[in-house]
Amino acid sequence: MDFDPYPDRRVVGTARVPGAPQKTTPPVPVKIIVAGGFGVGKTTTVGAISEISPLTTEAEMTLEAVGVDDPGPATAKTTTTIAMDFGCVTIDQTLKLYLFGTPGQSRFSFMWDDLVRGALGALVVVDTSRIDDCYPAVDYFERAGLPFVVGVNTFNGQLGYNLDEVRWALAIRDDVPVLQFDARYRASVRDALLVVLDQALDKAMRMRSS
Amino acid sequence: MTNPAEPDEPDRPAAPAVRPFLRTPGSGPAYAPASAPEPAPAVPPGEQPASLRPFVITSGRVAGQDAGIGLETQVSALPGATGARLSPEQRAIVQLCGEPLSVAEISARLRLHFGVARILVGDLRAAGHLDVHVLENDFPDPETIMRVIRGLRSIS
Repeated sequence: MDFDPYPDRRVVGTARVPGAPQKTTPPVPVKIIVAGGFGVGKTTTVGAISEISPLTTEAEMTLEAVGVDDPGPATAKTTTTIAMDFGCVTIDQTLKLYLFGTPGQSRFSFMWDDLVRGALGALVVVDTSRIDDCYPAVDYFERAGLPFVVGVNTFNGQLGYNLDEVRWALAIRDDVPVLQFDARYRASVRDALLVVLDQALDKAMRMRSS
Repeated sequence: MTNPAEPDEPDRPAAPAVRPFLRTPGSGPAYAPASAPEPAPAVPPGEQPASLRPFVITSGRVAGQDAGIGLETQVSALPGATGARLSPEQRAIVQLCGEPLSVAEISARLRLHFGVARILVGDLRAAGHLDVHVLENDFPDPETIMRVIRGLRSIS
């Protein structure tokens, strides 16, 4: 079985103080969210760079119905269980990057503070043939003030629209990068994530200087 | 009269749950009925146990006392934490966390709803079985981000 006899190097701290700085054992986790509509390649993106094959967890998400078939104020908010694929990349022994692929259903705006709290940023994966699928994610990250990057997934090396058209359709700020990537290739996903990290670094610098 | 070839309807409702490959012997005692807090109300015998309503395991609680526990929060077992009075789910969590593990991974590997896993982890922490490494700062500092950038760049 997976019993571990606690090797000496991993001195497990006994103080269960929240937020106690520990130099010893567990890696510091950081996370990036990979968001987008159904079938745009979120799991492919996660799997392309993760060192484990993506795992799935189920969690609650709060939904606010918007738009055409809004059933009225009495049922404006519901929770639903979503399945989320995730993976990880060990940066070094003290730092681990998690990637959470989360769906954004169209016609729903979702709110999920658990997911965003402490996140470095988000990669919004877009399929140009169904571009409106990503609107809820863009809305949410804008409101949450989370750095995000729009990544147009080019399944066949083809882009239905050019990146300026995508930017226009999404009506995002000029400082939000819109890029093209291929979710199947590790190097391509890595480069897209590096752009997310650049945005995160900008935010961290701004927070420090203010 | 529709499908005479089907003897005893083997199609399960197949709860839209965690992937089935995770159900390996040794890692899935999560739903052993040993000391379920309540006799799970009306689970038909043929139904997949994964469709048991998830928060039965937490005695109906849907919110833990540890709001700081997130998906990526690292959890590790404390030495000598193999208590006998743990529920099967709790014991499975403690066994899994010999190496530090995120709550999301605990949830995935034990096929527990994330909300359930989070409550159980909080309980085990309160009982002194687990070390839960909640981070205090909300947004990572620039140095940490630089390390992630360097680490990713080295991936080819």
